[in-house]
Amino acid sequence: MTYLSFLKSELLAVFYRKQDTINALAFFLIVITLFPLGVNPSADFLEPAAGGIVWCAASLAILLSVESLFKEDFNDGSLEQLIASGLYLPITILIKLVIQWCAVIVPLLLLIPLFSQMLFLPWSIVHVLIFTLLLGSPALFLVGTIGAALTVSLKRGAVLVLLIILPFYLPVIIFATGAISAAQAGQDYSGQLAILGAISLLSLALSPGMSAVSIKASMN
Amino acid sequence: MNWTWFHKFGSPKWFFQWADKWGKLIFYIGIALFLVGLVLGLGFAPEDYQQGNSVRIIYIHVPAAMLAQSCYLALGVAGIVFMVWQMKMAPIFMKAMAPIGAVMAFLALMSGAIWGKPTWGTWWVWDARLTSVLILFLMYLGIVAIQNSFDDTKLADKAAAIIAIIGLINLPIIKYSVEWWNSLHQPATFVIGEKPSMPSEMWVPLLFSVLGFYCIVTALVCWRMQTELLIRERRASWVKKEVTKHGV
Repeated sequence: MTYLSFLKSELLAVFYRKQDTINALAFFLIVITLFPLGVNPSADFLEPAAGGIVWCAASLAILLSVESLFKEDFNDGSLEQLIASGLYLPITILIKLVIQWCAVIVPLLLLIPLFSQMLFLPWSIVHVLIFTLLLGSPALFLVGTIGAALTVSLKRGAVLVLLIILPFYLPVIIFATGAISAAQAGQDYSGQLAILGAISLLSLALSPGMSAVSIKASMN
Repeated sequence: MNWTWFHKFGSPKWFFQWADKWGKLIFYIGIALFLVGLVLGLGFAPEDYQQGNSVRIIYIHVPAAMLAQSCYLALGVAGIVFMVWQMKMAPIFMKAMAPIGAVMAFLALMSGAIWGKPTWGTWWVWDARLTSVLILFLMYLGIVAIQNSFDDTKLADKAAAIIAIIGLINLPIIKYSVEWWNSLHQPATFVIGEKPSMPSEMWVPLLFSVLGFYCIVTALVCWRMQTELLIRERRASWVKKEVTKHGV
């Protein structure tokens, strides 16, 4: 196995598991629907809350889609093969993660204009929402991967992953919604975007290695 | 520097006997210090000129809040020690420490709520400090959950250590972001941080009760570690000797 053949097989796997992407998007949509129904459907409430609602829904959808990142490979033994293959594990994890990110975030970004209209987010703010998702979501994927790697051997790990990983998502959510509300108030939001990028880079530095350690510990 | 005193703590047998000898003493010292602090604080310290008698809950609230933070620091350091040097006492310490830290964070939140009602007129505000303690509490719950959800002890130890280390890296970021969020969303509600300079009759009892809390937690951790050691080392000969000593 080489990195290239691994990349090819992963791309194929994602292509054949289109349902996972659809599930993540459907989950995202239903969480967004909860807020107008549960709290208040008027534009007065939704317009200032839209950024927060999108980000809460995105965090949950991302975490749930990352949670099962290694599950199938663990169950059918290909994770063991991957460790034995001699490829550098952090890199292969990163490849897997980038593919997963493209599979979930790209369709999500394409649908964001639609979702933001459902939440009465003004057109002039939509691009800020897209920037925050582009810069912040890598951190969510990277940190979530550590949780997925730790719980790969557990039958029911989803709730556990949510419990241990969500606290680490808070800074990203805070700065992302901060950027959006700054943009809504007509202020400069580049600082928040810079911090989001910094958090993503820090996660990029730490997460693949830690995930590799966790996976190796789970396989023993 | 001579590290032999520290290496001794890596030996389960040595630690068990050390905790047997000193645990109770530390506990009683802690109780005594805490009681002195309470008696001085509740009986002799002056009333606060603004908050009246309600300020006396500080003798529970502040030690609990300090312990909640110290325990997480200790967890993170123990996690690093375990991942770097594979010291087998480190995960035992983490297992003993995590629930106690959670209790301390809970105690800080509850006593803070009880204190908040008469002074601010509300049980809870989304203030930066309160929110970060709440998140700290949730992080403790996560560590306890991960320690208890694996059948394989080795894996549970590693998982808890990794999460504790990530938590240690993340705590400053979370704290900073929450403070920033707070200043954005909540302009000028309550400034809890700025204490008026306390007279010594107020801070001396506080010092006593903080030290008392530290001693009590140390003793509790020692005892919980002893229990965990007996479970994990149940096949070792020193455990059999230790158990049969008490005539079982």
